[in-house]
Amino acid sequence: MTRHTKTKASEASLEIRAGATIHEHNLRNGLRVLLAERHGDPVVKVILYYGVGSRSESDQEAGMSHFLEHMMFKGSSKYAKGEVDQLTTMLGGQNNAFTGNDHTAYWMRFASDRWETALEIEADRMTGLTLDPDEFNSERDVVLEELSMGEDDPWSVLAKRVEATLFGRHPYGRPIIGYRESLLAMEPADMHAFHKRFYNPGNATLVIGGDIDPKRAMKSVRKHFAKIEAQPKEQSEDAFKLPMPTPGTGETRLRLHWDDPGRRLIMAWPSEPVGTDADYDLDVINGLLSNGRGSRLIKRLVENEGLATSISTSNDARVQAGIFWLFAECAQGVPPEILEAAIDEELERLRVEMPTAAEVKRVHNMIGAQESASGESIGDVAEEIGSMAIDATWRLAFDGGAGHRKVTRKRVTQTAARLLTQERRVVAWSLPTGKEGI
Amino acid sequence: MASVRLKTGQVPTPELDQVVFDLSCGAKLLVSPRPGAPMTALQVHIRGGHSLDAPDLGGVAWMAGRMVDQGTKLHTADEIVDELEPLGGGINGDSTGLSGTIVSKHWKKLCMRATEMLTMPSYPKDRFELQRGRVLDRLSIERDDPRSQAMHGFRELIYGDHWLGRPHYGTLESMSRIERKHIAAYHKKNWVASRAVIGICGDVDPEAVKRLFNRALADWKAGRDLGTVEEDYPAMKRRVAAYQAKRQQVHLFLGHLGVKIQDPDYPALVVMDHILGTGPGFTNRISRRLRDEEGLAYSVNANIHSSAGNMRGVFSAYIGTSPEHTSAALTGFMEEMKRIQDEVVPTPELDVARNYLIGSFALGFERAGSRAGYLIRQYRFGLDSDHLKTLPGRFSAVSAKDVQRAAQRHLFPDDAVLSSGGPIAKKALLVAMGAKAKP
Repeated sequence: MTRHTKTKASEASLEIRAGATIHEHNLRNGLRVLLAERHGDPVVKVILYYGVGSRSESDQEAGMSHFLEHMMFKGSSKYAKGEVDQLTTMLGGQNNAFTGNDHTAYWMRFASDRWETALEIEADRMTGLTLDPDEFNSERDVVLEELSMGEDDPWSVLAKRVEATLFGRHPYGRPIIGYRESLLAMEPADMHAFHKRFYNPGNATLVIGGDIDPKRAMKSVRKHFAKIEAQPKEQSEDAFKLPMPTPGTGETRLRLHWDDPGRRLIMAWPSEPVGTDADYDLDVINGLLSNGRGSRLIKRLVENEGLATSISTSNDARVQAGIFWLFAECAQGVPPEILEAAIDEELERLRVEMPTAAEVKRVHNMIGAQESASGESIGDVAEEIGSMAIDATWRLAFDGGAGHRKVTRKRVTQTAARLLTQERRVVAWSLPTGKEGI
Repeated sequence: MASVRLKTGQVPTPELDQVVFDLSCGAKLLVSPRPGAPMTALQVHIRGGHSLDAPDLGGVAWMAGRMVDQGTKLHTADEIVDELEPLGGGINGDSTGLSGTIVSKHWKKLCMRATEMLTMPSYPKDRFELQRGRVLDRLSIERDDPRSQAMHGFRELIYGDHWLGRPHYGTLESMSRIERKHIAAYHKKNWVASRAVIGICGDVDPEAVKRLFNRALADWKAGRDLGTVEEDYPAMKRRVAAYQAKRQQVHLFLGHLGVKIQDPDYPALVVMDHILGTGPGFTNRISRRLRDEEGLAYSVNANIHSSAGNMRGVFSAYIGTSPEHTSAALTGFMEEMKRIQDEVVPTPELDVARNYLIGSFALGFERAGSRAGYLIRQYRFGLDSDHLKTLPGRFSAVSAKDVQRAAQRHLFPDDAVLSSGGPIAKKALLVAMGAKAKP
């Protein structure tokens, strides 16, 4: 039976992020609510984050979080299959969802006079998901087609192999979408249990961003969510907390083949969790290496020497660990080992020589400018605040570059020397079918 | 669920004030000030684009635009990058002009570099060779990509030898023939003021923007305006092409010639699209049937309005699916195209589409880039100055009969072409297609 909990909304603080005033509330049942009030455009985005993703799955459950995300549109107690889309669309709104390693999120975007419908829908799907067996089977076919789509993408195939190598049996080593075998073995009852375990107020953060009246918004939040029963804490925690594997003491090399002329390279290093000093350091390193045409790798390898047709890096910080990625596509006629050696030179430079003050300042400026660009859309603001809230703390989002400005030249070199070493990395090449080497 | 009808007056609409100037050089300038906007966006459209490419030199227009940021007579590429990137700025070009954004307070720098690119790109030879090499690499990989090949095949089947059937970035063969002199000559002849419209949106003062452009573009040649572009397309007829490759999925593109944006049926076609294959989630018939009910695909859609411009676009139905589902997917496409022609759309379904179009109107104008893009589209397509305000009303006025009439006029299921990429042979495709064409 549902226990109607009294809400005790405590407003901890009022801070400004990307021009939005943030109001934080916590309901007694554990639901955290973040209101990002900004009145520039007549638009509101509602995002409900759950702290569940591929990291929360056992081997047998591989792909469950993502499959469940699909099933959340296939019917709940108040909304028959298709009605969430129908209602959203009828009101001129948009909705979608996404699943990651650490969280799953459902968003709706409406003109600002009708967004409260989103709360009613989300509260209903949190507690009353239907999971009809026929719908389950039909949607599994869709997920399997999505899986096939990824298997036709050489970059996706290569990246999956790299993650598996970096993380071993830890869930971060598995693809978010799961495996054909794990998906085929799933039953609605398994998903019911999974939903019950993770879809509850204490494991959720609700973000409402845009042209809202905070008091009215909270009244509506309470109306729809306060009556949902709190779950015992242990049910919200990850079932599978394997230790992170210790990085190997030597470089791991992989080689795949694809039937086109592309020579694709991924280098990847295990890194540290979101919000740590290393996370900030790696953001700056990312900027130095590949943010813009003035960055080291793009300027040298793509623009000046033509060794690569494209190159990028990415700091993929997660809750328990992370990956620092490097992707490059070798230019035709350039031996892969030449490109790899040039990348190695740049990485070595990063590990032994401090970047110039001008270089670091350029990256700080660019991070600040990117924040301005992201801040143009209240939807992006709400999304960033929510993902930071569920993975770490929302105060890391849109901090005006404060966190990154603490990253000194010395810290850059130290972190590169500690984390981005040859011994810790996986190097994976995808080469044309029949080509050897590397 | 009860049917609800939104009224246009109930819906918040975006404000997009604009000031229009005729610059002394002959270009048009559209400025939409937005005080306090963090970013300012600039777009410049130059009429012509890849319609002006010689067939054996496809890609010249694209390369001419692509390379404008590689240096000007006043600044090297590195100097431009070093100046703009730390300010969150950047400019990119293509066959139809250039676009860029920057943190608002630095908008003058963005505009000044853009004016140099418009009037005096230097096209350094070494940069040209590198850029062309990258494009050739990309094209050689694309040649083995089933989805890309299916899409190119689809456009060729519809447009034949017309330039709209050719990729704007050319082919491996045409790109191999392009030299620096071709793009320099193209730019000199075709990037001229009389063909240019400049749109800017952000925290700017319109008069200050006008002064800057009038000063910086004072010597820009007006050039010759373009005449009417030829529209000679192959007759609509069933044609099939297959690019065979070993993959998990086959990509199917089914469709035919579409409409111009000025077509009087355009609002009805937008509504029809949302009912047939574009509406969000499973609110459109094709997604509901092929994805939601039959589980055939993750990615499926159909649309005629989004490619409409001053030239005729295409009607395109797309699905990426396992090869064993080809026949079912084609059946779904054909039957749904015919159903929307044969049956009047029920009112609740019509309301969903109309309401979405009216209610979602405010959602697409948050970013300065979207606003600048809208300014340019409005000018290029000759849309009324109050188009933004009146369009929701025009969607609201579309009736079920209008939708049926538009579908009957503009959908041709029996004359649709089909292009595939993936693990299916042309023979098998013909069987699947033929069987469905004559049920």
